[in-house]
Amino acid sequence: MIRFARAISVLFMLVSAGSPLHAAGADARAIDVLENWNRLVLELVRHTPTYSPPVASRAFAYLGVAAYEATASGRKGMRSLAGQLNSLSRLPSREPDAAYDDAVVIQAAMAAAAKHLFSNTGPTGQRAMGAMEKQAAERAADGVAPDVVARSTDFGDRIAAHVIEWSASDGGAVVENMGFPLEYQPVKHPAHWTPTSLIAQQQVPLLPGWGGNRSFAMPDGAACPLPPPPAYSEEEGSDFRREAEEVRVAVRDLTEDQRAIARFWSDDPMLSPTPPGHWMSIALQVLDEEGADLEKRVDLLARLGVALADSFIACWHEKYAFDLVRPVTYIRRVIDPDWEPILNTPPFPEYPSGHSTQSGAAAKVLEAAFGNSYSFEDNTHEADGLASRRYDSFWAAAEEAALSRLYGGIHFRAAIERGLDQGRCVGAYATKLVTRE
Amino acid sequence: MRFAATVLSCLLLASSAAAQEPALPRFVDETGPSGLDATFAGEWEFMVGGGVAVFDCNDDGFQDMLVAGGQERASFFRNGSRPGGRLSFERAEGGLELNMVSGAWPLDIDSDGHVDVALLRVGENVLMRGLGGCRFERANEAWGFDGGDDWSTAFAATWEKGAGWPTIAIGNYVDRAKEAFPWGNCSDNRLHRPESGERRFAPPSALKPSYCTLSMLFTDWNRSGTPSLRVSNDREYYKGGQEQLWRVEPGRKPVLYTAEEGWKPLKIWGMGIAGHDVTGDGYPDYFLTSMADNKLQTLTQGGDEPAPDYKDIAFASGVTAHRPYTGSEVKPSTAWHAEFQDVNNDGRADLFVAKGNVWEMPDFAQHDPNNLLLQKADGTFVEAGDRAGVASMRTGRGGALADLNLDGLVDLVVVNRNQPAELWRNASQGAGGWISLRLSGDGDNRDATGAWIEVRTGDHVQRREVTVGGGHAGGQIGWIHFGLGTAAEAELRVLWPHGEAGPWQRVSANAFYDLKRDHEPEPWTPAP
Repeated sequence: MIRFARAISVLFMLVSAGSPLHAAGADARAIDVLENWNRLVLELVRHTPTYSPPVASRAFAYLGVAAYEATASGRKGMRSLAGQLNSLSRLPSREPDAAYDDAVVIQAAMAAAAKHLFSNTGPTGQRAMGAMEKQAAERAADGVAPDVVARSTDFGDRIAAHVIEWSASDGGAVVENMGFPLEYQPVKHPAHWTPTSLIAQQQVPLLPGWGGNRSFAMPDGAACPLPPPPAYSEEEGSDFRREAEEVRVAVRDLTEDQRAIARFWSDDPMLSPTPPGHWMSIALQVLDEEGADLEKRVDLLARLGVALADSFIACWHEKYAFDLVRPVTYIRRVIDPDWEPILNTPPFPEYPSGHSTQSGAAAKVLEAAFGNSYSFEDNTHEADGLASRRYDSFWAAAEEAALSRLYGGIHFRAAIERGLDQGRCVGAYATKLVTRE
Repeated sequence: MRFAATVLSCLLLASSAAAQEPALPRFVDETGPSGLDATFAGEWEFMVGGGVAVFDCNDDGFQDMLVAGGQERASFFRNGSRPGGRLSFERAEGGLELNMVSGAWPLDIDSDGHVDVALLRVGENVLMRGLGGCRFERANEAWGFDGGDDWSTAFAATWEKGAGWPTIAIGNYVDRAKEAFPWGNCSDNRLHRPESGERRFAPPSALKPSYCTLSMLFTDWNRSGTPSLRVSNDREYYKGGQEQLWRVEPGRKPVLYTAEEGWKPLKIWGMGIAGHDVTGDGYPDYFLTSMADNKLQTLTQGGDEPAPDYKDIAFASGVTAHRPYTGSEVKPSTAWHAEFQDVNNDGRADLFVAKGNVWEMPDFAQHDPNNLLLQKADGTFVEAGDRAGVASMRTGRGGALADLNLDGLVDLVVVNRNQPAELWRNASQGAGGWISLRLSGDGDNRDATGAWIEVRTGDHVQRREVTVGGGHAGGQIGWIHFGLGTAAEAELRVLWPHGEAGPWQRVSANAFYDLKRDHEPEPWTPAP
């Protein structure tokens, strides 16, 4: 709890003078830069209306790769992700025998990449980015020779430019109307998705083409396919109706802890850092707790960003392939017209569960970094008044995140369990990335 | 025979559809010729705000106007219009022209018969005491009002039962000292209650928690006779926040209505509140402005003791106003001031919404037309902003619908950010009949804030609550307008603050009336 408060307040610390960071060396300054930008990015995700979960995951991937490459380019033991991530070509390299400062390189790369990815944020976000860039640049360059600062800044800018150019062709660079297509014709059949919201914009589903985007580490959006959900049926005793009954009863009989779980993992866009941001927040907390060095941090953040981005591409690919009806629609039509889930149903098809896929993928990456039985406390939502929760492992957290959607009345069990399966598959691609020589 | 029947059927349908379509009002832009020349200008601290206060400060019946200026001085204009004539305003100095004003609300705080004005500012808020003749003087010290030093953006007032002095709520926005990391840093809202037994304010109390408020309204949502405080908050900046409803009972500390009582969490970019009994159930409904999605809330269940449980009927009513309806842009809209008024005098309240991008937010429409949503006979609304002539693409913020030339038709003023304000005269031909009413209580609370007015034509009853607050950054006091459709006369009664019901009284259409407790409606005629 104290740790989280310190992390949040780190932005204010930027203005403090007489920092011991220079004395602690370039890595300490670089970690400072990395953490500050990532914390700000979590806020920008929350406050930039285009940033639905899929869009947020994409930003985390590109920012992670930018920071990773900015660091790896100066480390003999680290291998570039060029050639490993789809369509990522060889990045600019440092001049041999010339001096660079990693903190300044990372600062320049993160600032340029963030400004590009969040160019559409509002005036407050723009001001915050401006303030961050100014203060972080001064702090990163503290005690560094001017020629080294200039060379390092230029190099960081070129790393960012390369990543930005790479990002332009992935299919997700332009998001219009907050991701809601201007024209979309839902399939008229009771098995298929139909609008669940009274918000006019959400009478069409979010980002129906996202599953066709270029993926990062996995071959494409179809790389982790799922079996079909239980066959649609309104017959009592059918598998489909049993799943719906399970959701209905679960919501009716929620315990206080189950209700808290549903709220804790809800991670609604515009009201939180989104589900992928929640896992980025967990990673930042754990890295901080572990006192991880710079290389481990950039490695993990890049892998996690890639896994999250791929998980949304894979999940969306299947969502629109199966186009399944949501519990709220089915239950009200078939079982109980007055049924109310405790969470707002997201405006897109049901199967599989995005929370489950991305949580499974994230847990795989974090397990690879910290082990299968790493115990941790998650205080992502402390500032929003939600109590922190403790987990015995990353997978336990992923399972809880997945199940939270059943408690919330958002998903059937099949979408949850198979979403986790899909996440395992997606996460494996990210964990196979080779970052060490 | 079958062909004839089909044709007849089509004609009947067409006739039915035409009957459903409300009369189209016509507004004429008279900004330039009127003399209104005012701009709400400023940077980050003035991306919100930009209100207009409309009030009569020289007792001629014509409503004058104060336009917030942002970092520039506020602009005061005397109304020089003639009855039914073109709109005419003359810039004047009366003491209200402070800088850093984000919003302004008129009310008679000391009940001396002269309207006073509350100036909301980035910095110290100032209460200006009306001296008559459109002259004002600072009254913070005389009235014990602590103006604070916040980014103030919302205002509401009520007279609590038994009080001779108003209770004022001030809504505050972001802690402006936290410019680099404003999220989660909302300044406390303040409640200024009367000092016991004195005609001045006690030190304010904080309304905790506060969630970066952009509109507040004291409103008797359950018709209990004791208004509660509705608060609309901007989710852009709060953490753990939501829309709020405070129970404010005399002599007691305010407490929030809870989920257990029926108040459902709602988290929107809350920017403005417009209250009106749209559904005709006797309880006020609330239109809440936001971005990409606006709400029209009505009680889920009425009855004698309703719970504060609201459902959103915006989609069903056709008032989501979520996207530009004219022009080339398809990105979502940004809504600010909202107000219900009957602009075509058909006896049904219509809805105006001022629109405008916050500030270079590329995900939202840059050219975002104002809405004028006309209510149809079935209670749904149809967009007419472009056809009526008010679909300005300027960056709207505050506004007011008021009969500025006393011709029985409601005119429109809109304040724009970093662009000149606009003024439209309602020049509709063939509009329905109307009455305009001015309440006057005895003693304190002279304008009868908290009263309800009911107007009956046949079996159709219109109800309006007399409030101070809501909208975005500004409000009005004075004539209260009702359209009457084709009725030549109407019955009306006043439910005076805290519940005393006046008698039903008959009045003729197309006239102004002063309403005083225990008196017959007194016709009033503007000087030619």
